[in-house]
Amino acid sequence: MSEVLIADDSEFMRNLLREILEEDHQIVGEVENGVEAVEVYKEQRPDLVMMDIVMPIRDGIEATDEIKNGDPEATVIMCTSVGQEEKMKEAVKAGADGYITKPFQKPSVIEAIEDAVGA
Amino acid sequence: MEVDIQSLETFNQLAYEGSQQATAMLAQMTGIQADVEVTKITLMDRDDIGEELAGQSFVGIGFDLEGALVGDTTLVFEEACTGPIVEALPGGAAGDELVESSVEEIGNIMMSGFIDGWADFLGATIEHSPPQYIEATGADVLPDADDPNEQVFVFKSHIEWPGEDLHFYIYMLPAYDRLTELMADSGTGDDAVPVDKLSMFNEMTKEGTATAAANVTQMTGIETDAEVTQISFAPVEDVPKQVDNKAYVGTAVEFSGTPSGYLMILFDEESAMNVAEALMPMEPDGEGFTDMHESAIEEMGNIMTSGFIDGWANVLETSVDHTPPRVVHDMGRAIIDPLAAQVGQHQEHAFIIESHMQTDDLEFGCEIHALPDDAELRQALDDLDVARKDETEPDVERIFE
Repeated sequence: MSEVLIADDSEFMRNLLREILEEDHQIVGEVENGVEAVEVYKEQRPDLVMMDIVMPIRDGIEATDEIKNGDPEATVIMCTSVGQEEKMKEAVKAGADGYITKPFQKPSVIEAIEDAVGA
Repeated sequence: MEVDIQSLETFNQLAYEGSQQATAMLAQMTGIQADVEVTKITLMDRDDIGEELAGQSFVGIGFDLEGALVGDTTLVFEEACTGPIVEALPGGAAGDELVESSVEEIGNIMMSGFIDGWADFLGATIEHSPPQYIEATGADVLPDADDPNEQVFVFKSHIEWPGEDLHFYIYMLPAYDRLTELMADSGTGDDAVPVDKLSMFNEMTKEGTATAAANVTQMTGIETDAEVTQISFAPVEDVPKQVDNKAYVGTAVEFSGTPSGYLMILFDEESAMNVAEALMPMEPDGEGFTDMHESAIEEMGNIMTSGFIDGWANVLETSVDHTPPRVVHDMGRAIIDPLAAQVGQHQEHAFIIESHMQTDDLEFGCEIHALPDDAELRQALDDLDVARKDETEPDVERIFE
C-alpha cells in the first residue's frame, strides 16, 4: 500500500481525496499550504504527493520545485482547479509527474496515479 | 475601430443625465420624485437584453430614433406604478380608457427629455417616431431582435420611486455601427479600447461561464441553463448597485496578470445551501450553514473561478493567478463595496463583467462578477490575437508528453 501526502487548503477537497484514496493507499499526512507540504514530505518521504496549486503562504508549484530539487525520485501530481496552459508548463518545469483538473471523478484520479507511478 | 474610455464615460454620462431629465419631467407633471438608481452601458447578446425584467408586468412606450442616433428606445413602468402616476396628473383619477393615452403622453415627454441631451451633445437632430404604447411582461416590452445572437450595446437606466418600491426602466438600443462611429469620433484616441475585441472578450467570457456552469453540474448534478454574460461600463460608485441588496454566500478572489482585478462567485443563501449539500458526501454535523458547508462553497468558488478565467489566460497565452478564495456571507452590496473601493483608487469608471446562471425552476441561482483593472483589460484586449479566440482549452497530453 503506497503512502500519500495530500496538500490542499480546502478541507472539503482533502476529505474528498482521502475518501477516494484511502481504500488503496495510506494517507500519511494532510496539509494546507506549500510550506507544510515540503516539511511533511521531508519527514515522511511518501510515495506520492497530491498537490494543489493555489494555496496560501506558498503555492503548489513552488513546493513541487523544492520537493523535486531535494528528491528527484519524488512523485508529485498536481490536483488543481487551474486549467491554464502556462501554469501546466510551469508545473512540468517544476517536475510535476501528472496533472488532474478539478472537478474530477474517482477514475481520473486513479488513472493519473497509475500513469505517474508507472512513468 | 477603437473607442476610448473617455468616450464611454461621456456617453454613459449622457444616458445618466437623460434619465435625470426624464425623471425631472415626471416630477414636474406629477410631483413624483424618483431617483436614477443606475445607468450603465452594457455589451451583451441582443436576445439577453431585459432578462432582469422577467416575470414582471409593465406598461410604457417605445419609439424609433432616426437622425444622428439610430435605434430603439423604450421606457417602461412596473404595472403597479400606473395608477399612482395617472392619478397624480392634473385632473387625475382617470378611468381605464384614459390610462393608455396618459402613459403615452407622460412617456413621450419624459423621453423627449432623455433624448434632447444627446442631440445637443452631438450637435445634430435626433428624430423619433410617435410613441407606441406597450403593455407586456418581461423582455417582451422590448422590440423584437433582428439577430438574437448579435452583440449590441444597450444603455440601461434603472429609476426607483423611493418609499413606494416601484421601478421604471429606460432602454436605449442604438444601432451598433452608428454608435461605435459616434463614440470613436468623439474620443481623443487616448486609452482606446478596440471595440470589436471587446465583443470577442465577451464571447470568451461566455465560454468561461459555460465552463463554470459545467463544473457546477459535474460536482452537484444541478443542471444550469439560462446563462447570461455581459460587459458593462459604469461609474465606480454605481458598481455595488449591480448586485441585488439581498444576502449572498460565495467567494471573492483577487486575480493578477493580464488582466488583473477582483472576482466574486455569489449564490443566494438557499442556493448556497443546496449546492453545499449536493457536494457533501455525508450529512453535516450541526444545524444551518456549518463549517463543512462553508468549506464546500469555498471549493466550489475556487473551481468556478478557475473555470471562468482560465480561458482568458489560454487564449492570451499567459497566466492569470488568483488568490485562495475568501468565503463571503453578507448583503450583496456589502460584499462588493470594498472591492469596488479598491478598483476606485485608480479609476473613476469600471468595466464590470457579469454572468448569471440559474435553473428553470429558480431553485438555483449564481452570479459571477469580475472587476478588472481597466488599464490591464485594455492591455489584454491589445494582446488578444483574433486567430486564437477559440483556444480556451489547454492541451494537457501534449504538455505532459
